[in-house]
Amino acid sequence: RGLVRSGCGTLLVLDQDEGGIKLIRSFDWNDGLFDVTWSENNEHVLVTGAGDGSVQVWDTANPRGPLQVLKEHTQEVYSVDWSQVRGEALLLSGSWDHTVKLWDLERPQSLCTFRGHEGVVYSTVWSPHVTSCFASASGDGTLRVWDVKMGVSRLVIPAHNAEILSCDWCKYDQNVLVTGAVDCGLRVWDLRSTRQPVAELLGHSYAIRRLKFSPFHRTLLASCSYDFTVRIWDFSRPEPLLETLEHHTEFVCGLDFNLHIPNQVVDCAWDETVKVYIPASLADLQPCAD
Amino acid sequence: MHRLRVVSGHLSPQNRLGPYSHAQIARSECSASLPVAADDIVVVHGLRTAIGKAKRGSFKDTTPDELLSAVMSAVLRDVGLSPDKLGDVCVGNVLQPGAGALMVRVAQFLRVESMSLRSVGNPGDVSSRLMDNAKARDCLIPMGITSENVAERFGISREKQDAFALSSQQKASKAQERGVFQQEITPLTTRFVDEDGKERTIVVSKDDGIRPGTTVEGLAKLKPAFKPDGSTTAGNSSQVSDGAAAVLLGRRSMVEALNLPVMGVLRACAVVGVPPDLMGIGPAYAIPAALRKSGLSVADVDVFEINEAFASQAAYCVEKLGIPMEKVNPNGGAIALGHPLGCTGARQVVTLLNELKRRGKRAYGVVSMCIGTGMGAAAVFEYPGN
Repeated sequence: RGLVRSGCGTLLVLDQDEGGIKLIRSFDWNDGLFDVTWSENNEHVLVTGAGDGSVQVWDTANPRGPLQVLKEHTQEVYSVDWSQVRGEALLLSGSWDHTVKLWDLERPQSLCTFRGHEGVVYSTVWSPHVTSCFASASGDGTLRVWDVKMGVSRLVIPAHNAEILSCDWCKYDQNVLVTGAVDCGLRVWDLRSTRQPVAELLGHSYAIRRLKFSPFHRTLLASCSYDFTVRIWDFSRPEPLLETLEHHTEFVCGLDFNLHIPNQVVDCAWDETVKVYIPASLADLQPCAD
Repeated sequence: MHRLRVVSGHLSPQNRLGPYSHAQIARSECSASLPVAADDIVVVHGLRTAIGKAKRGSFKDTTPDELLSAVMSAVLRDVGLSPDKLGDVCVGNVLQPGAGALMVRVAQFLRVESMSLRSVGNPGDVSSRLMDNAKARDCLIPMGITSENVAERFGISREKQDAFALSSQQKASKAQERGVFQQEITPLTTRFVDEDGKERTIVVSKDDGIRPGTTVEGLAKLKPAFKPDGSTTAGNSSQVSDGAAAVLLGRRSMVEALNLPVMGVLRACAVVGVPPDLMGIGPAYAIPAALRKSGLSVADVDVFEINEAFASQAAYCVEKLGIPMEKVNPNGGAIALGHPLGCTGARQVVTLLNELKRRGKRAYGVVSMCIGTGMGAAAVFEYPGN
């Protein structure tokens, strides 16, 4: 199943099969929804972050409304991420109020508020390797790595001279992250030596909106941008840009890899379409042996 | 507004690399995007008759009042509105006796034309002083000559005109084949007199002017129709035709109060004057004027219905405004469908809104035409989305 969040306040839960894409469930919220994340515990549960600063927990089996609404952030919640550690119901929310909050969905109040960013927080992502570790990207131009056991960031990287709209962790190397910024560049970082990036990926002509590392290949990632394109990169190559997909007619704002179908990508754009596809540059690749 | 500012900040010039880094980006308010207002002028519904070739085609023996009444009743019947609820009726026609009479507060436009029964050559009562004023005199220039004037002045070659005409025929044929027009045509039962004088009753539901077999070679063989060494032929001009169309308009508050559907919203319209001897360039000036009023640009509009009075002027207008050809008359235009003079504007609105409805999403469309005696008109419509 895939899902889509929309700036005009609707959460759409879509299912994809041989026949195409079907709408399973739709939920409305009275403000824009900016991000969405699936539960790792319960296949019917998902969480969204909204423009009014609230976080909603939804159940696709319950069409009436959200199970819970968590309201503490004072500005737009632009990012939500569910912890990948099985058994935990830990959620991160990143907000334009400059803070990141940690939630346990068994409780109505946040467990912790992480302060430090000097600008809006655009992205918060749990590390897939190290429990209790997460990264955040901000309008202050920094990428920060945090440990939930410490209340402050353990690493601050001035990754770009511009707002960073997205970041993601490499699925095969716990020290590697990528950031995408308003300066149109992607930078790959190794946390062991943060003075300069491992790679700089140029090609987009407008700000990068979202990035994702492939779940199946160590050095492959996808990015989407205000330049209407989705691009596939392999940062281990001297010519890292593998493919540019120009199938949208508006800002492409959402992107993800399918964890279950290798190399399948879903994206969504301001042209009100969602597309599911396997990029040609990935179609011929063998899954990583790691 | 705060969110718009944030997004604008992501797009600001100093942050951009690559080929677009010098381009200026600015946000501009789009008045056409105001979602819903009680005093919006909305289109409730529209239909047309099929279009028949004048003098020989399906409606050669049909009087205009039959055409009019069929299409008017069909619109009201479809939406279940009784005629006593209409505030006003406005009938557009060009050649009927007394044309142009009665224009009051508008609640309904009906367009009708029978070019079979009326002749183009009679201008009616005009002052003899007409001949003393050059521009006034130019108003009498036959339309075909204005097409030649446009072709010559702006270098629209015979080949370009024929290619445009071919495209219109192809698009219309494909649309007719796919049944695209079924949604917008109301079938009409009428009398038809055979060559041997026998009268019978026929049901007319298809446009009879479309020529699916049109080829570039076939068009190239046609002789110029208006000027001995000219480039405008019968094949690259609109056809002389009979037909009617009706569009039901209302103020949104009344339409909602009567529980009627909303098929489209009239966002802006503009009428401009252009030299009578080049009347065909009308849309090239009217379209920008209407777009300006609505706060939109060519890029924001998905479909343009630009009347094909002649391929010369239609091609000129499309090129001058830089409109991508795939947005223009996607189901063909007057060259293939025919051009019943007073009917065409409403016909274009009906065809436009049905096309946007088929595409499903919220979108803008433009209807535009040139007007004999030197005018252009254009209107911007919004389809609200399925």
